[in-house]
Amino acid sequence: MIVVNYLAAAALFATGLYAVLTKRNLIKIVMGLSLMEGSTYLFLISLAYRAKSTAPVLLSPPGHLGPRALAHGNVADPVLQNFCLTAIVIGVAVTGVFLAVTVRIVQHYKTLDADRVRDLRG
Amino acid sequence: MPNAEPSTPAAATRDAGSRPRPLEDHEPSHRRPLGLVLAAGAALLLGAAVWAIPREHAPLPAVAHEALRVALPTWHILEPVNEVVYGTRGFDTFGETFLLLAAVVGVVVITRGREARRGYIGEEEAGARERRQDDPPSRSGRAATEAKEGEAEEEGRGRGPATPDAEPLGTPAPERAEGMTVVVRGAVRVISPVLAVAGLYLAAWGYSPGGGFPAGAVIVGVVLLAYVSLGYKRIERVVRPGIIEPIELAGATAIVALGVFGLVFKGSFSANFLPLGQPETIPSGGILQLFSGSELIEVATGLTIAIFGLLGMGHEWSDDTDEAQGEGAGEGDGDGTGGSR
Repeated sequence: MIVVNYLAAAALFATGLYAVLTKRNLIKIVMGLSLMEGSTYLFLISLAYRAKSTAPVLLSPPGHLGPRALAHGNVADPVLQNFCLTAIVIGVAVTGVFLAVTVRIVQHYKTLDADRVRDLRG
Repeated sequence: MPNAEPSTPAAATRDAGSRPRPLEDHEPSHRRPLGLVLAAGAALLLGAAVWAIPREHAPLPAVAHEALRVALPTWHILEPVNEVVYGTRGFDTFGETFLLLAAVVGVVVITRGREARRGYIGEEEAGARERRQDDPPSRSGRAATEAKEGEAEEEGRGRGPATPDAEPLGTPAPERAEGMTVVVRGAVRVISPVLAVAGLYLAAWGYSPGGGFPAGAVIVGVVLLAYVSLGYKRIERVVRPGIIEPIELAGATAIVALGVFGLVFKGSFSANFLPLGQPETIPSGGILQLFSGSELIEVATGLTIAIFGLLGMGHEWSDDTDEAQGEGAGEGDGDGTGGSR
């Protein structure tokens, strides 16, 4: 039933996209982008899941499996978990830059409304 | 937005022109039907796409098998995710690190004040107070200065007591104080060393789940806990650009050096050139652990710089400069007439 997670990720992404397309408040646009990022995390982690699997750790596997047996056995996909880690760090970095730009826009134009940020002052 | 509501009725009339209007009751939006159609279309497209991809019963892809296979024999590490992050796909992590660094540099450039500052927060107020004493603002600027002061006071910056412990109940002092109450401060003092050790543990014992990225996030959490509970003044000596920016660049240099040493000694970028320790010991991963430790430094300082850069952005409203030039008022005091242009 992991496909439910996939569909939830798609729905989250579309929700974020809707916010980015229709909102005029800059903070809400950044929130929409963060929602789209979050949907990626959910999607990657769900994609890594395998039925009846364990964590990709060879330290002390459950049951009678040794580390070498586990290496060929049924575990979650470590490469996709790595992608998720990368995505989280990049998401944080990008959100930080967006917020900094938003604060400067607000200070310059004195509005959070994206539609009023049009004229070139000065 | 901090100054959506002027603090006093006098300020309200004075600044009616320059302050932004309060947000409307109904939220303005763009082309709602078009957005709905596009978002629904994207949802359908993505839904159709994810419907067809492999699900939980599919075999692991070859690259995952490869990561699981090489983790123990090649790297002496029991945690394939760490092996992928810092070993097999180390170049990817390398690029990601410098994307983070580029973002931090971007935030620093965007948030930087006009004048060089030693710390992140509060210095502009101290400087403004001094400047007012030396060079009193002209008549037109005074109202704006007072409004600004009231605003800073409302936000609890500038003149609050160090701690709210001795303040009577029912006054705004607890909100204005630098730190939080003795209960919070005590709890943070107890929990911070534990959290810091837990963060370092995550990076040091990298052969079990953990690694530099989550460890760095934990260290940032410790710094933020200290900031919100004790106030910026107590951590000012450590959390200032002069200290954490060089540490950040040292972390980045260490990551570059690890990659280049691999190229020099082993012939490929980011190859392991250190002896591998026994599995389940700290030196087990060779350069993986050093890479992970450098990432810890990079993430912890990078996020701290970005967060404090944002927190310390201050109120450098644009009209300060051009109005000041226009009417010859003292610098930084001229936003009383901002709306009249």
